[in-house]
Amino acid sequence: MAGDMEEATAKGWNTGPLSYDISGATLLYVEDEADARNMVSRMLAMNYPKLKIFAAENGAVGLDLYREHTPDIVVTDINMPVMDGIRMSREIKSTNPEACIIAVTAHSDTSYLLNAIEIGVHHYVLKPINYEELFAVIDKILEQIVLKRLVGEVNQRIVESQMQLAMAQRIAHLGSWQWDLSDGSMNWSDEMYRICGFEPGAFEVTYQSFLDRFLEQDRETVKTAIKESIENRQPVGAVFCRIERSDGCQRILRLEAEVLLDGTGIPSLMIGTSHDVTELKEAEERIRLLTDELERRVIQRTSLLQASLRELESFSYVVSHDLRAPVARIEGFCQALLEECGDCPNPGCRQYAERTERVVKQIKHIIDAFNNLSHYARCRLVIEDVDLSLVAGGIAATFSQSEPERRVEFSIAPGLVVRGDRRLLQIALEHLLGNAWKFTSKKESSRIEFGRHDQEEGMVFFIRDNGAGFNMKYVDKLFKPFQTIHSPGEYTWDGTAIGLATVHSIILRHGGRIWAEGEVDRGATFYFTLEPNPEGGSFIEDPPTG
Amino acid sequence: MAEPCILLIEDNADDAFLASRIIRKIRAEKIVVVRDGEEATDLLLSMAEDGSCQLITLVFLDLKLPKMNGLDVLQAIRNNPKLQALPVLVLTSSDNDADQERCRGLGVIDYLFKPMTVDRLERALDKLKS
Repeated sequence: MAGDMEEATAKGWNTGPLSYDISGATLLYVEDEADARNMVSRMLAMNYPKLKIFAAENGAVGLDLYREHTPDIVVTDINMPVMDGIRMSREIKSTNPEACIIAVTAHSDTSYLLNAIEIGVHHYVLKPINYEELFAVIDKILEQIVLKRLVGEVNQRIVESQMQLAMAQRIAHLGSWQWDLSDGSMNWSDEMYRICGFEPGAFEVTYQSFLDRFLEQDRETVKTAIKESIENRQPVGAVFCRIERSDGCQRILRLEAEVLLDGTGIPSLMIGTSHDVTELKEAEERIRLLTDELERRVIQRTSLLQASLRELESFSYVVSHDLRAPVARIEGFCQALLEECGDCPNPGCRQYAERTERVVKQIKHIIDAFNNLSHYARCRLVIEDVDLSLVAGGIAATFSQSEPERRVEFSIAPGLVVRGDRRLLQIALEHLLGNAWKFTSKKESSRIEFGRHDQEEGMVFFIRDNGAGFNMKYVDKLFKPFQTIHSPGEYTWDGTAIGLATVHSIILRHGGRIWAEGEVDRGATFYFTLEPNPEGGSFIEDPPTG
Repeated sequence: MAEPCILLIEDNADDAFLASRIIRKIRAEKIVVVRDGEEATDLLLSMAEDGSCQLITLVFLDLKLPKMNGLDVLQAIRNNPKLQALPVLVLTSSDNDADQERCRGLGVIDYLFKPMTVDRLERALDKLKS
């Protein structure tokens, strides 16, 4: 036996690995002679290392193994005890007519052989086994098996991708079509039928029935686009057109197509897609209407804003001109009184004139404050990057130098850069830090902090002090001009209290918000936000001249 | 009008009274008060015509005037070769920066805020001398 194997190798049957992958393939070998069975099994294993081999000593065992494993190839002896090869083959064929059976026969088995052919045994190999012959037969069968398997897989893939395409078309409301230019026939995808309001394949399509789907007023556009596309051999690019479904409802399609040329460069086929974009177009239209409405509203609000700014403008003009004139008159008469009646024996005369003069100063102060305040609502903004940390640092340094005896710890977070008007933001911080400085003046050691929290609504800046604070019930008064919540003489007061109102106005001009928290004797915190990129310029195009 | 005079262009009687009161403390000329811009311009132009404008030593000009505002009056003065050297003092209660700039551009001695004081007037007139 060992000699046979050496001979086999020497003869070069095993001419290297097969050019195709047979992994997973199985073979059942049925032979009653133990030596022959072992020998052939070993030879098979050697020649086909990837082939799984089952061996059986007679037809009955072979049939059991076949039923258990359904091998791809059955190699069987004919003449065997218990159950011969013919009977086993017949049984196998009865359950699986496709089963591939190779009969190994001696010349004396000729009568059996006829039976074998009748059963449908495909191949036979004569005994004694010539391995070259056996392997050639097995190779051929394996090749067929692999090919069949490959075709099956490819078919499966095609079916899958067809299903996928149909599904995708359905989900996307995207129908596709082909138009054979040689015979005018058309082929629609299922979704194409559905888009047009029909059951898939409901009728035989022609180019004319395709055109008939479109509304009359759009039909010419479609026709022209397709005609030009064919003439110029250029794709039809995104034509929007309307179709009418059988139930009368209209849909909007986005049509695209490509021309395919035959071997001689003549247009032979047009492949196109029809995308139902009705909902998309309707949404677009809604957005357009909303945008228009929004724009109208913005224009309306802007003109309202301009109107009220103009009113403010003329009001400030009245205040600064028409009110100043009578005040100046009172002041003039006070002077006259003091000069001419200063020596009056009635001391009241002089005193009243002096008091009136002080009142006049107060009125002038209020006029100035009012004009300053309204200025921030009207003035032109110049937007640039502003490093609030640097600005705050400069203000803090100025305060510290002005009262070097005070012990105030400033904590200023670095790098707080924003977009805004440098001059106005400087004024706002001067007021906020100025308040903090003023209201911590009675503390042994004061601390003033400027920083930023990053919150959901954006960046929130804050200025916190540990000074006098305030009672939260007065919080609404804080940002109103000419109002103070501290009693006279408590802290220095210029008599107008427009500082926080000014800050409020500046923050508003920057599209922000300002609010405060405080507790008596524990300190106050002022928070503010700023629009990331506020609008520059002014709402009043040409300020009136006075 | 054969004697030197000071022209006070002022529509408000109280203001005219208060200004005259201060002017009289340091000046001896007769004070002629004109109550609107048009009247003032007509008077000045006719005085330019007959040469009597030589008699005007000083013009006090309010800016907010009926019919024709002070700036236009000032412009008319500067446009007339016989009047353009007239010393003009603006007397106003407006703090409008643009007005102030335009007045200075048209060569006024000073821009005085109401109410005028003797001190302020003297300082302004010192400028005229230098």
